[in-house]
Amino acid sequence: MAAAVVGDRDVGLGARAVVEQVRALGLRSIRGTLRQPQVWLPGLLFPMFIAAVNTSAMGKAVEFLPGFDGVDSLLDFLLVASITQSVLFGGLAAGTDTTTDIQTGFFDRLLASPVSRTSILVGRLMGASVTGALQALVFIALYGAFGVRIAAGVPGGLLLVAYAMVLALVIGGFAALLALRTGSAEAVQNMFPLTFIVLFMSSAFFPTESMEGSYRSIASHNPLTWMVDGMRYQVIVGLDWSQAAMSLSWTAGLAVLAIFGANRALRARLRRAT
Amino acid sequence: MTAPAVAPPSVFSWVPLALALGRRSLLGIWRIPAAMVPLLAMPIFFLVAFSGSFSSLLELPSFPTDNVVSWFAPFAIIQGSAFAGFGIGFATVRDIETGFYDRLLLSPGSRIALLVGPALATAARALVTATAVLMVALVMGARIPGGALGLVMVLLASMGTAVISAGWSLGLVFRMPNQRSGPILQLVIFVCTFLSTGTVPLADQIGWTEPLARLNPLTDVLALARQGFVGEVTWATTWPGLVALVGGLVVLWTWAATGIRKLTP
Amino acid sequence: MSHPIEVEGLVRRFGDIVAVAGVDLVVKRGEIFGFLGPNGAGKTTVVRMLTTLLRPSAGVARVAGHDVVSAAGAVRRSIGVALQDAAIDPLMTGRELVRLQAVLHGIGRSEADRRGDVLLERVGLSAASHRRVGTYSGGMRRRLDLALALVHEPSVLFLDEPTTGLDPTSRMALWEEVRRLNREGTTVFLTTQYLEEADVLAGRIAIIDDGRIVREGDPKVLKAAVGHYRLQVTVAPHQLATARQVLDAFGDPRPSHDTTVAIGLRSGPATVSVALRALEDAGVPVEQVELDAPSLDDVFAEATGRRLEGSAIPDESGRE
Ligand SMILES: Nc1ncnc2c1ncn2[C@@H]1O[C@H](COP(=O)(O)OP(=O)(O)OP(=O)(O)O)[C@@H](O)[C@H]1O
Ligand SMILES: [Mg+2]
Repeated sequence: MAAAVVGDRDVGLGARAVVEQVRALGLRSIRGTLRQPQVWLPGLLFPMFIAAVNTSAMGKAVEFLPGFDGVDSLLDFLLVASITQSVLFGGLAAGTDTTTDIQTGFFDRLLASPVSRTSILVGRLMGASVTGALQALVFIALYGAFGVRIAAGVPGGLLLVAYAMVLALVIGGFAALLALRTGSAEAVQNMFPLTFIVLFMSSAFFPTESMEGSYRSIASHNPLTWMVDGMRYQVIVGLDWSQAAMSLSWTAGLAVLAIFGANRALRARLRRAT
Repeated sequence: MTAPAVAPPSVFSWVPLALALGRRSLLGIWRIPAAMVPLLAMPIFFLVAFSGSFSSLLELPSFPTDNVVSWFAPFAIIQGSAFAGFGIGFATVRDIETGFYDRLLLSPGSRIALLVGPALATAARALVTATAVLMVALVMGARIPGGALGLVMVLLASMGTAVISAGWSLGLVFRMPNQRSGPILQLVIFVCTFLSTGTVPLADQIGWTEPLARLNPLTDVLALARQGFVGEVTWATTWPGLVALVGGLVVLWTWAATGIRKLTP
Repeated sequence: MSHPIEVEGLVRRFGDIVAVAGVDLVVKRGEIFGFLGPNGAGKTTVVRMLTTLLRPSAGVARVAGHDVVSAAGAVRRSIGVALQDAAIDPLMTGRELVRLQAVLHGIGRSEADRRGDVLLERVGLSAASHRRVGTYSGGMRRRLDLALALVHEPSVLFLDEPTTGLDPTSRMALWEEVRRLNREGTTVFLTTQYLEEADVLAGRIAIIDDGRIVREGDPKVLKAAVGHYRLQVTVAPHQLATARQVLDAFGDPRPSHDTTVAIGLRSGPATVSVALRALEDAGVPVEQVELDAPSLDDVFAEATGRRLEGSAIPDESGRE
């Protein structure tokens, strides 16, 4: 997890205190999210709407087009896409919270307190991760009610939850990075269309096998495609550890990258502050 | 006391004011060209993404064309136009919040100008969007077998949709003059454009969207816009689209006109 | 002929909030009428109703002889308005705004240009007229806003806190301009939270507090009615009680700080020396003396029991 950040040594807090701080800051971040339905509700409803519309409007694709082997309904196919989309949007909203903290001075207050520098970032990311798990559970339950069965059973469901938690670290890390670097909510929100582009140019909504030309080659080289495909395998075909490992290792790799960047951004901001 | 300086009401004409307000709306784009980017980027992105992601959909039985760009270009144009109308609504919210709109409301003339001005600007914006998407579509390989008449139809549908959407947006903004109206406006526009034949013809839709898309007047507008891209322009496809446009204009601009009366005496 | 502004029983509610709770007013032709009140008193709400921007919940208002609800168009034709937050599109240039304003009032293009030039010259913005308003300073925006309000040569001018946020020089310049407009025949309705502004500019004032008019009239007469100069003396702490006793004979006590005693002098500034001598006779050495002329703040305090704290312009004390 995140490396120690400047300031920790000067403060000299015990590990126990740090854990307690991470918990408090993580809870604050979750509470902050839950208390603003206008922030997270679109992140749930929008993917649901897209999945519902596509399942109905494009549902025939499952019978006629390549890439849907073993898929009963487009909704099965879209479960992982919806979770991914929801987590990406939710993570961005959390990034906006960090900019709000910076603008309202809460961040400075944190820095002025003996809070460990690491807990600021870790707390925020833990909060995002737990929120991601909740999002995955909502989609599994809801789509389950509409007949989507995860072929890999309970272990498959747990894999999806784990994937959502790590994916939340990726987007949360990148959003925190941007927020800490720029301090501007707009900069974070500008990532919104970007996530949309990355989603579309992947296998999330439609299988790459059914695409053509350069678009297909972009989509098949998009890491998100590998992340989504590995998870979708669990939903459509059944439990497969190598598929899961491929998906999770890409996701975890990106998470490490994002957190590393966010950590550096935090150090930079701390240096400027002192 | 100063002499009354203003022409009597009977002579007061709303036309110059409507033109001036339309000009001002466009001035914003001229002075901050970046403002136009989302207006262009979104439909172009949708065109690229839909044509790329869903190209194989055209293998479904009822698609009238095998050119995926030709199929999605009119949809991207209509959707971009609908969001151009939203843009005018949102600009008006900003004007109301900053107080600039008070200046307009203090005009002694008819309120018609305050409605027609933005409508003109919306149509102009939609034209910019439609032209840009068309050019990208042609580069991507779209064909327009319907020829010049087909182009006229798509531009007509684009401007009509934009103005209708502006009527919806202004009507809501006048009743709810704050930023909270933004998401509602977008949501409704988004839902209306997606519950249509934007991606898949009615005959190939298998679930709950089919009856809604059948009822949605935008389906007729889309058919009007699309006909020149998938074949010849026919009167049978044109008239339902025109009826839908006129109906939408009447209903939603009545909604806007009654809304502006709620703002002031 | 009727008065330029006639208001009876004007009320405006926002949900449960009663912003304006029954206002009666008459503003006579050629007056500068000052509408004075603290933040949230209801000044802007009244102005917005009088300028047809807001529907009254109850009551009647006629401006320039027309009802603000049923003849809103006719009212708009006769009034010029500069609202509290000079609402100006930052992307437009000064000249473009003047032109738009002219079109808003149905003035033709060449006439608009001619008047625009005159007005921009008059408010000292000729040189900046081709710049975008976004680059203007606060004072320049206010002056532009005033020019805009005058494009159609209105007979009644509404100014909502025209000088809030201006430096003293800009404030004086704006006052001068308002006076000049008034001399040329424009009736001016001006709201302010600055006592001095109302004092200096207005021939008549109304004080509004919590949606109600609590005093109305000529500022001189109002002040004379509260009437008492305030005498404040600083003495040694152990002699406060004695000092209070002595001064009691000269006027009613007024609130003051720890080591001071303050009274409202009952019979004018001439009795100050008598009061001080009485203290001396009682063996109370006076360390410091202050004498304040009655101000509109006293009028306000007398009417509401509160002071217009913090709203006073810093160097305002003792103005008569
Ligand atoms: N649109 C509105 N909705 C709800 N309440 C409002 C609205 N406009 C004004 N109020 C309330 O009405 C009261 C009077 O406000 P108003 O703006 O008229 O005060 P004001 O005297 O102009 O104050 P200031 O000196 O701060 O400009 C305030 O309590 C305000 O909160
Ligand atoms: Mg006010």
